[in-house]
Amino acid sequence: MIHFVLLISRQGKVRLTKWYSPYSQKERTKVIRELSGTILSRGPKLCNFVEWRGYKVVYKRYASLYFCMCIDQDDNELEVLEIIHHFVEILDRYFGSVCELDLIFNFHKAYYILDEILIAGELQESSKKTVARLIAAQDSLVEQAKEQAGTISNMIAQATK
Amino acid sequence: MEQLKTIGRELAMSSQGGFGQSKEFLDLIKSIGETRSKAEEDRIVLREIDTLKARLSSPNTPKFKLKEYLMRLIYVEMLGHDASFGYIHAVKMTHDESLSLKRTGYLAVTLFLNEDHDLIILIVNTIQKDLKSDNYLVVCAALNAVCRLINEETIPAVLPQVVELLGHQKEAVRKKAVMALHRFYQRSPGSVSHLISNFRKRLCDNDPGVMAASLCPLFDLIVIDVNSYKDLTVSFVNILKQVAERRLPKSYDYHQMPAPFIQIKLLKILSLLGNGDKKSSEQMYTILGDIIRKCDSDSNIGNAVLYECICCVSSIHPNPKLLESAADTISKFLKSDSHNLKYLGIDALGRLIRISPEIAEQHQLAVIDCLEDPDDTLKRKTFDLLYKMTKSSNVEVIVDRMIDYMISINDHHYKTEIASRCVELAEQFAPSNQWFIQTMNKVFEHAGDLVNPKVAHNLMRLIAEGFGEDDDTADSQLRSSAVESYLRIIGEPKLPSNFLQVICWVLGEYGTADGKYSASYITGKLCDATEAHSTDDTVKAYAVTALMKIYSFEIAAGRKVDMLPECQSLIEELLASSSTDLQQRAYELQAVICLDARAVENIMPMDANCEDIEIDKNLSFLDAYVQESLEKGAQPYIPEDVRSGLSNISNFRSQDHESSTHALRFEAYELPKPSVPSKVPSVLSSSAELVPITQPSYVAEVHQPASSALTVSSSGSSELKLRLEGVQKKWGRPAFSSTTPSPSSSDTFGSNNGTTQHESISSTKSKVHNVSYDSRKQQTEVSSEKKKLAASLFGGASKSDRKQSYSGQKVSKTNSHASDKSIIAEATSSSDTAAVRPTSQPPPDLLDLGEQTVTSSAPSVDPFKQLEGLLNLTQDTTNLSSSGVSMPDAPDLMSIYADMSSSSQSTTVAPPPNVTKAHLAKQPSKGSNVQEFLEKDALVRQVGVTPSGQNPNLFKDLLD
Repeated sequence: MIHFVLLISRQGKVRLTKWYSPYSQKERTKVIRELSGTILSRGPKLCNFVEWRGYKVVYKRYASLYFCMCIDQDDNELEVLEIIHHFVEILDRYFGSVCELDLIFNFHKAYYILDEILIAGELQESSKKTVARLIAAQDSLVEQAKEQAGTISNMIAQATK
Repeated sequence: MEQLKTIGRELAMSSQGGFGQSKEFLDLIKSIGETRSKAEEDRIVLREIDTLKARLSSPNTPKFKLKEYLMRLIYVEMLGHDASFGYIHAVKMTHDESLSLKRTGYLAVTLFLNEDHDLIILIVNTIQKDLKSDNYLVVCAALNAVCRLINEETIPAVLPQVVELLGHQKEAVRKKAVMALHRFYQRSPGSVSHLISNFRKRLCDNDPGVMAASLCPLFDLIVIDVNSYKDLTVSFVNILKQVAERRLPKSYDYHQMPAPFIQIKLLKILSLLGNGDKKSSEQMYTILGDIIRKCDSDSNIGNAVLYECICCVSSIHPNPKLLESAADTISKFLKSDSHNLKYLGIDALGRLIRISPEIAEQHQLAVIDCLEDPDDTLKRKTFDLLYKMTKSSNVEVIVDRMIDYMISINDHHYKTEIASRCVELAEQFAPSNQWFIQTMNKVFEHAGDLVNPKVAHNLMRLIAEGFGEDDDTADSQLRSSAVESYLRIIGEPKLPSNFLQVICWVLGEYGTADGKYSASYITGKLCDATEAHSTDDTVKAYAVTALMKIYSFEIAAGRKVDMLPECQSLIEELLASSSTDLQQRAYELQAVICLDARAVENIMPMDANCEDIEIDKNLSFLDAYVQESLEKGAQPYIPEDVRSGLSNISNFRSQDHESSTHALRFEAYELPKPSVPSKVPSVLSSSAELVPITQPSYVAEVHQPASSALTVSSSGSSELKLRLEGVQKKWGRPAFSSTTPSPSSSDTFGSNNGTTQHESISSTKSKVHNVSYDSRKQQTEVSSEKKKLAASLFGGASKSDRKQSYSGQKVSKTNSHASDKSIIAEATSSSDTAAVRPTSQPPPDLLDLGEQTVTSSAPSVDPFKQLEGLLNLTQDTTNLSSSGVSMPDAPDLMSIYADMSSSSQSTTVAPPPNVTKAHLAKQPSKGSNVQEFLEKDALVRQVGVTPSGQNPNLFKDLLD
């Protein structure tokens, strides 16, 4: 089971966190600090796995972003590494060559996509097409809602100016 | 500059399609990106929190604004600040009618709240309503929240709806419903136990996604109860076969592998089903062989599947042919340059040596390379492997290595683990008591606070009991060497408490036993130690008792006791100690010193800690005295339960009195005279076993593990066997004397040491010979040191010839020479033996098996038969068109990763911006257009999200 997903920039800034096991806010901060310290200091040629507090953390670096997932001792590390890559490929297809900036400004989109890939700490969908279809359906619905709301909000905005 | 800003903002606004963030939000992100210190960032975030607090609570904030504030709240919390003031607004937003707001609300609550949060109760009602919605997207959003937020108490509230959704027409909903049920099962298995059959049903779902989802709960169920799911073995094998034969829609392919994630999940399930079950295992052999053969070992995902196959092969009933291909795969992993694969190789090796121990031999050099690798992860995995293959012949090398590594690391968690492993291995396989004590000393010195206190007691017990009854000189040698080493160590600052307790106890018992050290010398050392660790009451208690022992031994021997001034001041200090235990000990010490030699001898007999004490629970020895008193007119004793008429107050007082005497009485029962066994006070309960010299329960405990060791020690000593059947204590008296007479056993181990030394000499001498062997290896140069290590680690298989060489020590020079060569020869000829092996083994009847499974599977459930017909026709055409688009993407992504290693070093030095632009311009085919890239690049620099604003390379596109 995946216990949490972290996206950390090379400077140790958090870009996305998703917790599938209960962690208090305090623990979360501690976990992030501890892990970013360990992972960011690792050299490029080393394993993509780190043993940590009896769990394993699988990480992979894409440009300036580190994608990390924490898994159980008996999970398949290489599989999780590919789950990360699967996530990145979907992000890439969605944003059209994704970059860190996309994730900074649209972190909610990244969350929605992650919610379609992982659920309750397990991989729920391994077909990129299915994920893309679901996200597109959600987006179009939101778009419709936005158009309706947009006219109203414009009016409000105009009025308040 | 202003213009750039506008472009950037517009770009950011247009690229996210969802909601338009305001300038404020962009500025927030920007200013946080520009901060150079955590303090600065905190200041900005705190200001933002204040703003949000004010805005969220104002009643007339428009809804679309609220949504943005919630996003900002998520952002703030992501940065590690407390945003709990806004949780209620997130909850409120889930109630909203509009889907976009609802989604945002659900997203926020799933990110903010844990399942035990008080606000959950406010969401349940909304979730219930949304699960019934006509819009499947609303249902999906609600199900996502269900998986994250519903706890044990709220499961019943949503359970009926979730079960209903298992039959929903949209596969996305069915899939999420399965996962939600799975989550419920994890939370509280009881609440969904009647619904388990649903998972079986969903296994036959038309949609592969739903089928894959149902594998997760089924896996968990099978872990708990294999036998109820044996009937599904055929179905799983069939599904796996169809997946491997690419019968699933193309969209499930991942890097040219057919649905690898589903394959892995299935393999995990099969390994459970086939574990220790020959019949089920036989059904899997064919498909496993096929997958291993077909797997693409160049891609990561291919290797992930291969690794899972090895795990499966090593877990199910062994099949020689599969084991062989697993071994081949492992050697491929170990030879790879990728650390990841080496890591998996080591792990897989650890699994496979349980079944075929001999395969470790051929990989010895690879293993040693991994052991010496600078990568900590790999090193630890290798220690795991060594731990699994430890036996009495290599325990010294392995434990020494482990201790060296333990000393070098700071990670508390792992240090504890490796320390306990060292202790475990040493207890189980130690070749000599001397070595055991030295090893324990090292472990205690460096990780004493991390090991179980029991270990300290074992060590004390070992020193006290020694080899056995018949060898007193060896025992006293052992003790005096322990005393000597402890006197050396005790002066060191910062010793762990556990270790100091052992030291104090041993010095007290045996410090003056051999007459080498004077009492005043040892008492002085003990006083110094208590002074240096003045905060640790337990150590003080041990030390005072040790002092008492030493003084009584002196008195008993007829010598005059001169208390050192520092001892005197220590005792005086303890007489007034706030700890009643210490006070008691100090008073007793004072009292004992004033007694005459004969009395002291009775109170503190020399070296009597192993003696049994008969306990006279009836206190019959007092009968005469009682009788006498009664005759003189004393009141007879009334048992406590009869004394009910007494007032509450006195009752209370007596209880009170009793509880306090628990602490005080403790020391009194040290005396060897029989008395009522007391409960050990809680403060000292951990060390209670050995604090007093004699405790009745203690002796009984000693014999228990010893007798169980008897059965194992005879069988488990020589063969390479992992201690899977639980830890056996080797240190009981009977075990040691029963296997071999102790002097001879220590002899063999001594000569063992001798030969390894010989080997080191001979291996350097025989370099000429080695060269010819080496040339056949991939590595042309393997240092003799490594070979030595390899020989000492893996020498197990060639042990029989080595044993002969032990018997004749004189010949050992030539003999060990030969054995050294034989090891290398074994390693190099591994490929030869691999080739020879199939002929020597009975040919596995894989084909027959395959036919069997085919015939047997024909009538069984075949969920994919219908599926094929449904999906293949409709999806194939669409797949073709989509795969045409997807193909160019994949290699690009891979290439980024390949580039990473080179770019990672250079990223710290920022290339001038125009270089990146030129670089981008040169590759117009990469993105949709160059313009977009330039704009993004511009935005990057303008927004400056990173602290080093002059480094545009940081935001380089992933595809760049």
